[in-house]
This record gives sequence, structure tokens and C-alpha cells, in this order.
Amino acid sequence: MAYAYLFKYIIIGDTGVGKSCLLLQFTDKRFQPVHDLTIGVEFGARMITIDGKQIKLQIWDTAGQESFRSITRSYYRGAAGALLVYDITRRDTFNHLTTWLEDARQHSNSNMVIMLIGNKSDLESRREVKKEEGEAFAREHGLIFMETSAKTASNVEEAFINTAKEIYEKIQEGVFDINNEANGIKIGPQHATTNSTLSGSQGGQQAGGGCC
Amino acid sequence: WRSIGLDVSDGPGHSPPSPRQSVRKNLDFEPLSTTALILEDRPANLPAKPAEEAQKHRQQYEEMVAQAKKRELKEAQKRRKQLEDRCKLEESIGNAAQTWNQEILPNWSAMCTSRRVRELWWQGVPPSVRGKVWSLAVGNELNITHELFNICLARAREKWKSMPTAPPTEPETEDASLSLADREASLELIKLDISRTFPHLCIFQQGGPYYDMLHSILGAYTCYRPDVGYVQGMSFIAAVLILNLDTPDAFIAFANLLNKPCQMAFFRVDHSLMLKYFAAFEVFFEENLPKLFVHFKENNLTPDIYLIDWIFTLYSKSLPLDLACRVWDVFCRDGDEFLFRVALGILRLYEDVLTRMDFIHNAQFLTRLPDHISPDQLFSHIHAVHMTSKNRKWGQVLQALQERNSPVLKR
Repeated sequence: MAYAYLFKYIIIGDTGVGKSCLLLQFTDKRFQPVHDLTIGVEFGARMITIDGKQIKLQIWDTAGQESFRSITRSYYRGAAGALLVYDITRRDTFNHLTTWLEDARQHSNSNMVIMLIGNKSDLESRREVKKEEGEAFAREHGLIFMETSAKTASNVEEAFINTAKEIYEKIQEGVFDINNEANGIKIGPQHATTNSTLSGSQGGQQAGGGCC
Repeated sequence: WRSIGLDVSDGPGHSPPSPRQSVRKNLDFEPLSTTALILEDRPANLPAKPAEEAQKHRQQYEEMVAQAKKRELKEAQKRRKQLEDRCKLEESIGNAAQTWNQEILPNWSAMCTSRRVRELWWQGVPPSVRGKVWSLAVGNELNITHELFNICLARAREKWKSMPTAPPTEPETEDASLSLADREASLELIKLDISRTFPHLCIFQQGGPYYDMLHSILGAYTCYRPDVGYVQGMSFIAAVLILNLDTPDAFIAFANLLNKPCQMAFFRVDHSLMLKYFAAFEVFFEENLPKLFVHFKENNLTPDIYLIDWIFTLYSKSLPLDLACRVWDVFCRDGDEFLFRVALGILRLYEDVLTRMDFIHNAQFLTRLPDHISPDQLFSHIHAVHMTSKNRKWGQVLQALQERNSPVLKR
């Protein structure tokens, strides 16, 4: 299917926080109480619409165990967005956020949009990390923040889509160089024909339907 | 005419007709059994059929019955053939098991390299002797005894006891002892991962019959090799061994399997060494499937994307379990080279599909292989993979790459 842009996402965070479940909920709209362990990396894809444009999300879902960091580090390359996930019922997964963030900042391009996610918000009775703590951490490090539940689907759409909106805004502001694929953004076939005139006015829209 | 109850031929105790069958009934199909069809004259309150029509109907009726009979005969023949095939298969498995038990296993060192045994081996080791064959083929270079296993297990249990219990219900556990955090995290992680190991089999999860065994092997291993510890992927290997061996022998096979150079490189996550394995794989990839190789290169689909899962779990997570066991059969015999040969076999089997898809579809396909893969087909593709490149074998290619100092593998 034709799309205007393709954004590469990476999902990171400690093992067992629900990264694969968030992805499954987002791409398939279902929840698996016991998900297979992720070894290395798995993939998801979905089309979303922002500002009337079709955007394809290509999502890299990584293994969370510390030992795999040296491998997953190479997957930051070319990511436009990252979902950094912790589990609100396990404080240690929140405590590790700083090292995840350092890793992400060091190995990605500086414009990568990072969304902090406190997952498992349905397990209120087992909560160990207050929502305010997540908000404070996000504010301090300049991240967007949301609490989600992969189980009930609460905020899952929003988390993925708001990240894309932020990336999209950065493109509009000219922060992202969309012609450099290392930024994790690819111009889709829908755009390709008008690509050469992209810098100028977009008046002479030809093929490609209602985009731009 | 009318058809009387469809279950005439089914005696009591047969399962009730499936919904599909009842749909058939409603659709006014001729019933399958000839006994269910009766030709009747018109009811008495209606005028009788003219002789000609009655004759025509009788003829039609006879044709139908004849056809139904023919079909039944065919069905019966098919069933008999299926049964024969199954018997033949069971017999051949039984025969093979007998050969393994009575001829090969007692004379292991003399016979295990013979051509006949190798051929039999390639066809898959019968499940009843699988564990024994794996144990013998993997060997016990580490000289691990059952006593050593028990000591390691006791030490692991000691640690579990000193660990705070059941964290999910008690919110305070994590802060208390940060000094022990790492080791405990590893033990905690084992628990978390066991529940995520073959979840669909429902036997390794807490309360399941194999939970304790899996827990024991992984725990004992972290005490046996604290320098390696628990690494994700191990639970799948231990689980497959448990399905074929009793716990102490499964531990011995587990520790010796992980001690092989390729497995050590991966489970210690020695990234630069892993890259050498991937680079060696690419040499044979290009040699065997040049077109697909170029296609993957053009799409930036690097081998780590699919090989990591395959190698870490020895295919037990990505292939159907019975097929994975067949891969293990030959892997135990041929070593790490076979793992990469299987990878090429998979790529070869799906070459046409893979050549037509883009990055994301290929990545998704390879990290989540189809549920049904024909073992014979896959093995014939594995067989067709040639593991020589410019007269060099796998080991030589790998060694040459390892001797070269800096790894040049860019993503």
C-alpha cells in the first residue's frame, strides 16, 4: 500500500515489561497473557494517518535482557522514534531507565523522538511506581510520557500515534532531514514522484491522491 | 424417496455427526451409506406414478446406489491406504528404534560414523532413543557427574531460599537488597522466562509437570557457570532436553552443549565473535543463493536479524517442535556448521517468496516462520545446500575470519 512516509520505531526497556504485548496490541488489537520470549528482535508494521497522510510505522521490538544490549544497540541506527517502556508494578524496571536512556541517546540520531511508557496500568493494586514519578522523569529528560495497558489497550494507540505526530511535526519544522535515511524516515512511493519539487511550493500536485 | 437417519451405519459410541455433516444433510446430498437410501412409492392418498415414471425412478435409484457404493469402496480403499501408510511409518519408526537400541547404541563408538548409521540418523532419530543418542553425540567433555549436578542444584536452592519470595504481591522487595540485585535478578528472570517458554505446551509454567525440572536445570547452571549466568534462549534449550532426558542427564547435555564454541560465543554475547559467525554464514549464503543474497543486501536485511533467534534457541522456538528435534538430531552429530546449514535450507525453501518481499515483510517472515513446514521438504533443501566455498569448508572459512583481526561488518 502506498504511504507518504515510513518511520522506523524501536521499542526498548527491561525484559518482561510488555514490549511485545504493546506491539501486538497496536498491530493486531489483541492481548496475549503469556507472550513468547523475544530473542534478538521481532517486527511489526502498521499504517496510520496523520494530518491526512498515510504513514507506515516499521517497528523493531527488541530483547530486553541486559546481556543483549550489545546486540540491540545496533538497532537504534536509523530509528526516528523510540518507545522506552517500564513496568509500573516493578520498580527496578523504572530504576533502569537512566541507563536505557543513555544507551538510546548515545547510539541513535539526536533527533530521535523518545516516548516514555509506564505499562501495565491495569494492575493498579500492584503499582510500585507512581504516575507522577514517570511524569517527573519524562519532564527532566525531555521525553513524552504516557501510562498504557497492553491488556486493556488503554493509551496504546495514543502512545504510538503521538510519537508519530511528534516526528511529523519535526519534519514540518525542518528538524529532520527526510532525505537522509539514517534519520529513520523514508519518503514513500506516494511522495516519490513529487519528491524533486518538495523543497519548493507543493502547488503542482500530480499523482498520489489527496496527500500534501 | 427419503433418506433415513444418517447415523444408521454408525453404531452407538461413535461421535455425533459434526456440524459439517449436518449441513450436508440439509443440502439434500445423497447420503454416503447405501443403506440409508430407500425407494418408496407415492403415499396412498396420491395417485400412483405412471409405470414409465416409476421405471425411470427405479433406474435413477439404482444408478445412485451404484455410485454411492463405488464411492464408499473408494473411501474405504483410501482409509485402508492411510492406515497402511501409518502402520508402515510406525513400523519403520519401530524398526529404526530397534536398530538403534540393539545394534547401534551398544556399539556406539564403532558404528556412529558408519555410512548406514549416518543415513538412518539423517532421517530422524526415533523419539524413544532420541535422548540417548543426543547424550552420546554431545558427549560429556566436562565430566559432569550426577553428584555435581546435585551440588549445583543445592546451591541454587540455597540462593532461592534467601531470596525474598513472591515479589508481585509485595511491593517492597526490590529496594531492600540492591547489592544482591544482579544475581537475584538473574534468578528472578529465570522464573519470569520459564512461564514464557513454550507457553502453548502448558507444561513448563508454574504448576505444570516440568516447571521444577526446567527451574532446576537453569538454576544449577547459573551456579555451575556463574561467569555465563542465565541468558535468554537457554530456557528453550533446557526445555527441549527435558522432553527427551531425565533431569540430571538433561543438565549434563545442557552444560556440554553450551560449552561448544559457537554456543559459548553466543551465550556470552561475544559480539565480535558472533559477527564472525554471521560473516561466515554470509560467505555460504552468497555461494548457495546469490540472487537472494543480493536482494537481502539491497534491503539491508542483515543475518543477525533472523540468525540470533535461530542460533540462541537452536531453532526450538522458530520451527515446529518435532521438526526442531530433527534439526537437533543432526546438529548433535555435525555441530554448529549444521545450524547455519539449516538456516540456508530455510532460505532456500522459501527463496521465491523471500525474493519478492521487501525488508519488513522478510524480517517478519523470518522471525516468525510459517506454522506448518514439511519436514521432508525442509530436509531436502538442507541436503541441497553445499557447505564448501572455494574449496574451503565451514570450519576453514570461520577460522580464516577469526584470524583476521578487526571485524568489518557494518549494519
